[in-house]
Amino acid sequence: MNNLENGSAGRLRIGIDVGGTFTDFVMTDAVTGRVALFKEPSTPDDPSRALLEGLQKFLAHEGMQPSDVGGMIHGTTIGLNAIIQRRGATIGLVVTKGFRDILEIARCRMPSSFDLHAAKEVPLVPRARVVEIDARFDRDGTLTRAPSESELDRVATELNALNLDATALMLINGYAAPEAEARIADALAQRMSLPISSAAAIWPEIREYERTLVACLNAYIQPLMDAYFARLTEGLERIGVTAPLLITASNGGSLSVGSAVARPIETILSGPASGVMAAVRQAAQSGMENIITFDMGGTSSDMAVATDGTAGIATRTDIGGLPLVLPVVDVNAIGAGGGSIVWADAQGVLKVGPHSAGAHPGPVSYGRGGLEPAVTDCFIAMGYIDPAQFGGGAMPLDGAAALAALETVAGRVGMEGEDIAARLAEGALAVASAGMAGSLFRTMAERGLDPRDFVLLPFGGAGPTHANLLAEEIGIGRILVPQAAGAYCAMGAAGADLRRDFVRSLRTLLDDASAKAAESTFAAMEAEGHAWLEGELPDVVDRRVERSADMRYAGQAYELRVSLDGVEDWAEAFHHEHERIYGFRDTVAPVEIGTIRLALIGAGQPLAASVATGDGAPVKARRPLFHKGTWLMATVHERGALGAGAQIPGPAVVEQPETTTVILPNWIGSVDAHGNIIIERAPA
Amino acid sequence: MNIDPVLLEILGNKVASVTEEMCLTLQRTGRTLYVKETADFACALAGLDGRFYAYPRSIGVSGFVGLECLPAIQSVVETQGALEPGDVILTNDPYRSTGLATHLPDLHVIEPFFHDGQIIAYGWCFVHCSDVGGRVASSISPLNTEIFQEGLRIPPVKLMRKGEMAPEVKLFLDANSRTPEANMGDIRAMLAALSTGRRRVAQLVGQHGVETLKSAPEALMSYAAGKAEAVLRTFPAGSYRFSDYLDDDAASRIPVRLAVTVEIADGKVHLDFTGSDPQVATAMNIPSCGRPHAWLTLRMLALVQTLDHSAPLNAGLLRPLSIYTPLGSLVNPEEPAATGVRHAAAIRVNDILNGAFGLALPDVLPAAASGTVIPIVMSEPKATGGRIVQVIEPLIGGTGARRGHDGVDGRDSGISNLANNPVETVEAELGVEVLHYGLRPDSGGAGQWRGGCGMELSFKVLTDGSHVLGRGMERLMFRPWGQAGGQPGQPGSLVINEGAPRERRLGKIDILEVQAGDTVTFRTPGAGGFGNPMQRAAEAVLADVQAGFVTAQAARRDYGVALSDGKIDLEATTELRQAAGSGEGTVFGPERDAWDGIFSPTAMDRLNAALLALPLSQRQARRREIFETVLAELPSSFPRNAVSQAQAETARKKLTTLLETL
Repeated sequence: MNNLENGSAGRLRIGIDVGGTFTDFVMTDAVTGRVALFKEPSTPDDPSRALLEGLQKFLAHEGMQPSDVGGMIHGTTIGLNAIIQRRGATIGLVVTKGFRDILEIARCRMPSSFDLHAAKEVPLVPRARVVEIDARFDRDGTLTRAPSESELDRVATELNALNLDATALMLINGYAAPEAEARIADALAQRMSLPISSAAAIWPEIREYERTLVACLNAYIQPLMDAYFARLTEGLERIGVTAPLLITASNGGSLSVGSAVARPIETILSGPASGVMAAVRQAAQSGMENIITFDMGGTSSDMAVATDGTAGIATRTDIGGLPLVLPVVDVNAIGAGGGSIVWADAQGVLKVGPHSAGAHPGPVSYGRGGLEPAVTDCFIAMGYIDPAQFGGGAMPLDGAAALAALETVAGRVGMEGEDIAARLAEGALAVASAGMAGSLFRTMAERGLDPRDFVLLPFGGAGPTHANLLAEEIGIGRILVPQAAGAYCAMGAAGADLRRDFVRSLRTLLDDASAKAAESTFAAMEAEGHAWLEGELPDVVDRRVERSADMRYAGQAYELRVSLDGVEDWAEAFHHEHERIYGFRDTVAPVEIGTIRLALIGAGQPLAASVATGDGAPVKARRPLFHKGTWLMATVHERGALGAGAQIPGPAVVEQPETTTVILPNWIGSVDAHGNIIIERAPA
Repeated sequence: MNIDPVLLEILGNKVASVTEEMCLTLQRTGRTLYVKETADFACALAGLDGRFYAYPRSIGVSGFVGLECLPAIQSVVETQGALEPGDVILTNDPYRSTGLATHLPDLHVIEPFFHDGQIIAYGWCFVHCSDVGGRVASSISPLNTEIFQEGLRIPPVKLMRKGEMAPEVKLFLDANSRTPEANMGDIRAMLAALSTGRRRVAQLVGQHGVETLKSAPEALMSYAAGKAEAVLRTFPAGSYRFSDYLDDDAASRIPVRLAVTVEIADGKVHLDFTGSDPQVATAMNIPSCGRPHAWLTLRMLALVQTLDHSAPLNAGLLRPLSIYTPLGSLVNPEEPAATGVRHAAAIRVNDILNGAFGLALPDVLPAAASGTVIPIVMSEPKATGGRIVQVIEPLIGGTGARRGHDGVDGRDSGISNLANNPVETVEAELGVEVLHYGLRPDSGGAGQWRGGCGMELSFKVLTDGSHVLGRGMERLMFRPWGQAGGQPGQPGSLVINEGAPRERRLGKIDILEVQAGDTVTFRTPGAGGFGNPMQRAAEAVLADVQAGFVTAQAARRDYGVALSDGKIDLEATTELRQAAGSGEGTVFGPERDAWDGIFSPTAMDRLNAALLALPLSQRQARRREIFETVLAELPSSFPRNAVSQAQAETARKKLTTLLETL
């Protein structure tokens, strides 16, 4: 399975996450149990450069050789950025006659009812590159319009004339006959020199617009991703890394480079997903199963919910204004990030965001030309962040400029007197917290969950800095700040499982016969999954299958996803879930089974548990912290010097190169055996 | 107590968030389609004045922020005694709630939120329930002539007394609905939402103190009012008049007129609907009760929000606005006018406000949107008996063009922002084969900026004895107008068996019986264009032709752009464009021009003033008599086809004579 048993060769497992500003590396050493972090400035023009250079520096810094690397798992945002910025390939689309406008119409909704100037999203394939074909299925999957040879010739000729990089194919009701649609795609492919993705073959789920998008998005980013992975693989070979490379996926798992090239669409939201998966594993290590993750980065904050040790999976997400129906770890944007602008409107009312200074020019304190103060500047004004120690001292900030900019805004909201920069900053963070709390409450209300039953797990550069304020606002009593909080997506990558999701839409009344048919479809999906896994990494022994179905009462317009793992009575499982979420069950209406889903998971190598590295909680300095309008003296600690069992009563600040953790008055932090800081309300 | 600018922002966020949580609770616990799928519900927090100081932005019906709760509350206090903790008011009656409810299927509830024995706020929710009795299932038909045909009227009553449901109220409710259990499910979902609101407001009191919570409504509403006034101050002062027509009132072929004068001065705006038609004997009356009602002010709210995205969504936005609606008119009907499909008239109210504000702000407002929402419903006999009833698609059109921007093709959130149905789910449920679901080329009004395309839905019926319902069809006659010389969009249409021997071109339908093998084709209007089409960049016209939004013939005819071999023929184009005339201002299209040629705006203003002076019981009959007498002088194709000078002259004279007798 691997060569860990042979001593030190291949002892390192490396997770890499490419962000907009930094490329993060996490190294776990199977021999020593040590976890090391490293950051290299990203190179957006060719992200593989920072990756290769950073990897070499990191290995050198840790005294390791390329041959010590036993496994690498990598997440990339190339595909996502190409979609958001509409910089993907020139693609075409072939659709059933009568449906040329499928991307123009989409689901018919506008982004806003209140904005008379709202525009719809730019279609991924312009109408001039959509070609109709006289082919379609009926609802049972029977090919009621079979394309003639001459029709296929005509379509291929038209496509060839469009000078495309790739094309997608979607036939109405193709979800009911994915193999037949794939054959028509093949027949077209033989007539032209162009790759073609069949929507039904990639994702045979009912709903033609969403399925078309899956195929189009896949084709749209494929050439870019293919080129990137080719450069990367070649570069790794050049620097002597021969370990297998895996790519993280949006569903929280990972896949081989070969699979990622074939289905790049499965990887586009992998960054945030990896962070959440790392949080779930970390919390489980510390015996916590119900968590809300809080990832606060430069431009925004995200949250995700895990219950019973499992992260929620969404089957409808938004990608740059387009819906994506592939299963992804359910991450929700909830508000401000460190770069969100703090400003006053014409009425003198204080606002935070939605505009962000991002990394360039960044907050005023970055000294890169930013003139409007941002949330990070507020952290400085309140003493949360020591400008001299930012990035472990590698990137000192201009605190005076931050204060001056905040004072200007304070003047606009009519503040006078002492400490107006700090007071304005405290107000701005309260505004930011209120906004985040509102989004969080809404997300929980939709799921019928009470946030007070959860542990908050912050990560990202600003997560641990803001987490205690947010916990106070929402009434959460416990925060877990992991050691690697500043490079958490890379951490998640390092521990990722292999995972692939499969889907089939059945749309039938649930009875003995249809359940039996569904069982055999599940079996076929599972066999396909095992075959896939063999091709990814042979000998993965620890495998798991997750099955679920979208079900509803006949006549209902909405479906509910129900886990079928270990379930005998599917209908009862549905009734039960319906009752849990909606508060009632309908024992009269028949139950319908819509789409069935299966995930095959091959467990990744368990990472060595992180350990606390220091002893006690030595105070390296003291500095004033602004709290509720006054300055309080806080203790300052070095994260790496903290030992298991250490107690840190607030107000306190814990510094590490990637982030700063703030512990407020009346809260107390304790360091557990894994080096996590658990912050709880101090006993009265 | 004074609320500082930091706390104001925090509170604004928090109270809005409370209303969204209430909505999510309602949606999660509600049982019916209206709640789950079309989100025809809303929740809000009202201050002691009964106005909404917190309203959800991203969920539920967006347009009701201007509703007022106080009259319903006062009515209950007067008739049933003071409100106590645990009391919840229920009403659905537009007249007895003074316009809080606007048609009977909307059930509204209000709960006083107490702190230390004092009311500090009201929670409010409404749900469009499945049925409240009346003449037809679902309680809505355009052909109802009185509110009494529309179902059970619930005057403001205490549904809950000290936390217990009043049994006699429940008995009345259950006895008067075809779907009592579903209704009770929706009511319970609203009670759950109110309970979320009550709990969260109590939490806010705990966090910020009761004095802050009591001061929040006024602070938040004056903040919004300040924003609205700041926006309005940028508008050029003046008086702007605009009128438009609904094709008809659903029961006769006489068009229905809506007119408004918008007066703008010094950060204030006054809407005067004088000149609008008397209330109609069908169900499209808007029961505003003379107030600046939500249905009459939505466009103005959207305009403020468009120009200042940071404006909080609350009733303060309407403070700079005053209104006059003639009593007994379509926009302020007297009891017992039916109101079930008031949204049909509201679409046209949006259009006239859009037109009038467009005269003041020609660079901001677009030309007319397609102005129609048609839920195309199929009712199909089941092999096992009974019928399957299902929406095929809610068909809409596009949005109007404005300076610098083409309209949006095939989408329009003006009245509702409903999602469509995937064709595959439709085919999985119903025996139809959808042949074409797409945009309608050449339907968008030509202009320097093109109006959005309308849509086309064509399907083949697979079951004998199926019924197709197409309520809400509009602008089959009067086109969505163009602006600043832009052309109007194409009108809508309905064709059965197009291109086949049994082809039939139909107008509006209520219920149409079709058989297996029939094809049904709906086309929605295109939206209006903006600016002279001869000034549209020839490359933009070519791109539209290549994409198929415009045909090569229309490029030549409407834009003066000649194409040959897929390229612009520069010489021919220059020639065509030089020969073309140029329009200006609002372009209504030939049907409206023909109509106005007989029934001029001045004459219509006079007619409506005179009709309103008559007793309510006589208005409809006199109005019908006048129109029928004049129309009798004209060919039946009027106003679709132009009439001769002589015919027009005769008809005009007739009208003048009739006006004089009034």
